Amino acid sequence: MAEEGLTTRTQFPVSAESQKPRLKKAPEFPILEKQNWLIHLYYIRKDYEACKAVIKEQLQETQGLCEYAIYVQALIFRLEGNIQESLELFQTCAILSPQCADNLKQVARSLFLLGKHKAATEVYNEAAKLNQKDWEICHNLGVCYIYLKQFNKAQDQLHNALHLNRHDLTYIMLGKIHLLEGDLDKAIEIYKKAVEFSPENTELLTTLGLLYLQLGIYQKAFEHLGNALTYDPTNYKAILAVGSIMQTHGDFDVALNKYRVVACAVPESPPLWNNIGMCFFGKKKYVAAISCLKRANYLAPFDWKILYNLGLVHLTMQQYASAFRFLSAAINFQPKMGELYMLLAVALTNLEDIENAKRAYTEAVRLDKCNPLVNLNYAVLLYNQGEKRGALAEYKEMEKKVNLLKDNSSLEFDSEMVEMAQKLGAALQVGEALVWTKPVIDPKSKHWTTSTTKPASLQQPLGSNQALGQAMSSAAAYRKLPSERRLPKAP
Amino acid sequence: MAAASSSDSDGRRAESDEANSKWLDAHYDPMANIHTFSACLALADLHGDGEYKLVVGDLGPGGRQPHLKVLKGPTVLTESPLPALPAAAATFLMEQHEPRTPALALASGPCVYVYKNLRPYFKFSLPPLPPNPLEQDLWNQAKEDRIDPLTLKEMLEGIREKAEVPLSVQSLRFLQLELSEMEAFVNQHKSKPIKRQTVITTMTTMKKNLADEDAVSCLVLGTENKELLVLDPEAFTVLAKMSLPSIPVFLEVSGQFEVEFQLTAACRNGNIYILRRDSKRPKYSIELGVQPVGLVRVQKVLVVGSTQDSLHGFTHKGKRLWTVQMPATILTMNLLEQHSRGLQAVMAGLANGEVRIYHDKALLNVIRTPDAVTSLCFGRYGREDNTLIMTTRGGGLIIKILKRTAVFVEGGGEVGPPPAQAMKLNVPRKTRLYVDQTLREREAGTAMHRAFQTDLYLLRLRAARAYVQALESSLSPVSATAREPLKLHAVVQGLGPTFKLTLHLQNTSTARPILGLLVCFLYNEALYALPRAFFKVPLLVPGLSYPLETFVESLNNKGISDIIKVLVLREGQSAPLLSAHINMPVSEGLAAA
Repeated sequence: MAEEGLTTRTQFPVSAESQKPRLKKAPEFPILEKQNWLIHLYYIRKDYEACKAVIKEQLQETQGLCEYAIYVQALIFRLEGNIQESLELFQTCAILSPQCADNLKQVARSLFLLGKHKAATEVYNEAAKLNQKDWEICHNLGVCYIYLKQFNKAQDQLHNALHLNRHDLTYIMLGKIHLLEGDLDKAIEIYKKAVEFSPENTELLTTLGLLYLQLGIYQKAFEHLGNALTYDPTNYKAILAVGSIMQTHGDFDVALNKYRVVACAVPESPPLWNNIGMCFFGKKKYVAAISCLKRANYLAPFDWKILYNLGLVHLTMQQYASAFRFLSAAINFQPKMGELYMLLAVALTNLEDIENAKRAYTEAVRLDKCNPLVNLNYAVLLYNQGEKRGALAEYKEMEKKVNLLKDNSSLEFDSEMVEMAQKLGAALQVGEALVWTKPVIDPKSKHWTTSTTKPASLQQPLGSNQALGQAMSSAAAYRKLPSERRLPKAP
Repeated sequence: MAAASSSDSDGRRAESDEANSKWLDAHYDPMANIHTFSACLALADLHGDGEYKLVVGDLGPGGRQPHLKVLKGPTVLTESPLPALPAAAATFLMEQHEPRTPALALASGPCVYVYKNLRPYFKFSLPPLPPNPLEQDLWNQAKEDRIDPLTLKEMLEGIREKAEVPLSVQSLRFLQLELSEMEAFVNQHKSKPIKRQTVITTMTTMKKNLADEDAVSCLVLGTENKELLVLDPEAFTVLAKMSLPSIPVFLEVSGQFEVEFQLTAACRNGNIYILRRDSKRPKYSIELGVQPVGLVRVQKVLVVGSTQDSLHGFTHKGKRLWTVQMPATILTMNLLEQHSRGLQAVMAGLANGEVRIYHDKALLNVIRTPDAVTSLCFGRYGREDNTLIMTTRGGGLIIKILKRTAVFVEGGGEVGPPPAQAMKLNVPRKTRLYVDQTLREREAGTAMHRAFQTDLYLLRLRAARAYVQALESSLSPVSATAREPLKLHAVVQGLGPTFKLTLHLQNTSTARPILGLLVCFLYNEALYALPRAFFKVPLLVPGLSYPLETFVESLNNKGISDIIKVLVLREGQSAPLLSAHINMPVSEGLAAA
């Protein structure tokens, strides 16, 4: 501490003092960390040009000894995408101060970004020796192990990280591991905890909501997605999912309102346009529905669900030739679904290609396990062709499925389907076959969602798959239309 | 993109709701040439005449000409050069005596310069750090010539590897030297004592024992060696010393030093540490995960801006309360305190040229500025109570005065559905033609379907035939046989009449080289002449692309071009392995001549 009464206003004795040592022969060394604070301030403000200028000056003055300047230079290199250069600089830092875990962490981070996960884990382990209680090391180790597909180790590390300090990111990665392993329940557990810890994180809320949706627990899904939307009313993933739930319940106008926000945010999302299209379909605005679905199809030409919906709408519009094209395209992408063959058969019937229609029905019946509609439609066709025996067999098959569904769940059947079945039953003189209960909801909507949604993968946004599955369910609600049209022909 | 656009319109709404603006534009000088940070701005009644001045620790353009500037109104009152860049500026009352004019403290390098009445009054230097005793010992030995430079180097290396206390600059420099330079260096420096000096990174003030507005305050310094120091305002002795796990960048203080206080330090490792009186180490820590860009205390809430373009609110115990996303990078933050209405809010200067004012999560006001604001300060300036002072990236100075009638209302544009919901959906329109086609399909669907199916089958048949033919005559540029997996592509260069034709032949098998291949050109001899129409291919190593060059002379001068067929053959077989048809360009050289 030096106390001096300074008299001159413009000049401090410091400058005079700094000249003094120059008179001696040993020059004074500048303080290495002199401008670290300035480098840091420029860096956090993302003013990289100014930052680099200061770094350069500082490094020249200290002959490359200023560790922090090198460190920030490396960080900037990495942000600019020069990962290899940044790695080399971080290694220099690690040489300058070998006791510092932070440098090792950055070396490992650069290795990680270069895709050298194995090497990264080694360096992280090294860093962990220097600093035992760093959640970041544990977290990043966990992430490396995920990429190395060593899920058990990854889980251990992530749990360690959570133990040290809880962060949303760690929860998200843990959840991802469970999703990768296909364990939805565990993933939900993790996300639940995460939401408890940070109740305002919209990403967590949305993911949890979508997981519930995937399991068909609509109440909870809606709750979480709704929460996500309160905090961020423009979160398009949540909107899409919420919209699809509304769609399932027939609230097409509300759903459309919600979709407007998404249309602003991601105008090129195929599931969005698919759902909008099916909303219009629900409101019986078929031309608009076709426009939207065609846009969805243009954006995702290989998505069979969009093709399915297009086929369905065209069937409704009595454009059987177009419907046939879309349905056969859908079958090319998804050859394992009975309903698709059934729709194809309906189209073929209307195109007066009875032979192929029958073949399509046979395939549909073979693939389908629990949809009575398939058998009913087939029975109607057979009956119209005068093959009463075949029709009767299919009718019996349908009864079996209906009974099975009635036993398994409290779901109720669609009125039009019931009516049709009763008429056919009368025509076939089977007597009163079934006791149909209050017809309200199509039996399939629930089954549909669970069976058609693909498991969420890391790369794909959950929302699109899920929402699409939902739209399918609303599409499914309209599948009876083709069967209904066959009615007048029945005697 | 979406978030940005929607919050953009939020901002616009918030602004338009205000009946134009709450602010009076007092002064804007884009050429004021002030380059500084919020920490280097201070407002104080330096002369005790009731006229508040603005003190700016100016880094100068490019951080090269540090100046201390004092502004009165829009004009610079005094300007004096500084020996080093200022890290922070603060004004504080040093003693109780009248007249109660505040002193000005400027932290720069390892020193704090204190001014009174704008005259240099005192210079405080940080106490030097204790050197490593082992290192000290080594240099003492060197002084007495008991150790040769090489051993010295080895020993120092050893210390650097393990020791807790880092080496001095002198030793670090020495370790960098070549063998030949060592001797001279040791002789030159051995008699000097080993020094370790640190620098001040941040500074703020804390009331000493009274909470009054005009009470005596202590200076609180954050240093590069991860320490916080509290200085006595009169004697400039270190009253308290606290250590942090990392280097402090921003400091925030509440309470009084002699009663109870809470010090919050945002550090370079991305963590925020909260210290209390009587604790030498942090009591709570907040791990942000990213770098903090600003730290402001609003009553009991700590507001932290992060490099992820968001503001976070934390309790004084470090529990996260809320997060608000910003539309752009936060450049600087400061406190807005309107005493007359008892309002405290956070101002954040953003890279998109906005200054946003938040009370907790609620956006109160958006100020648009012609340039990105890099430093902010609010308070009494001149004789006006609520003045906002901003400096911009380009060195401009903006002064705005809050209208006396202005009231900030919470939640201007935050509630209700997002504005995008009111926008019409862009549903593609369908034309009359489409409707007609639809009707036609309804009428003649079956016939259309049949015609379509027939044509489709025909198309498939023809495609299959063409494919078979191509396979049979090896027309494809990639050979399908398992024995000779080859790839060929050809490039024609030149304007004519002489062209250079380069064939790139690649052996695509993983391990096996190919030997005994021939290349043959088929062409119209009336149109083209080639020096060699048939030649042997050298051995093809797997993976490499072999360029085979040949010249083609165009004989025709009527601007006619033709196809040259390239066949790759195996010795002793007549069927080609693969072939390529090269569409030769028209010879422009001849046409021009």
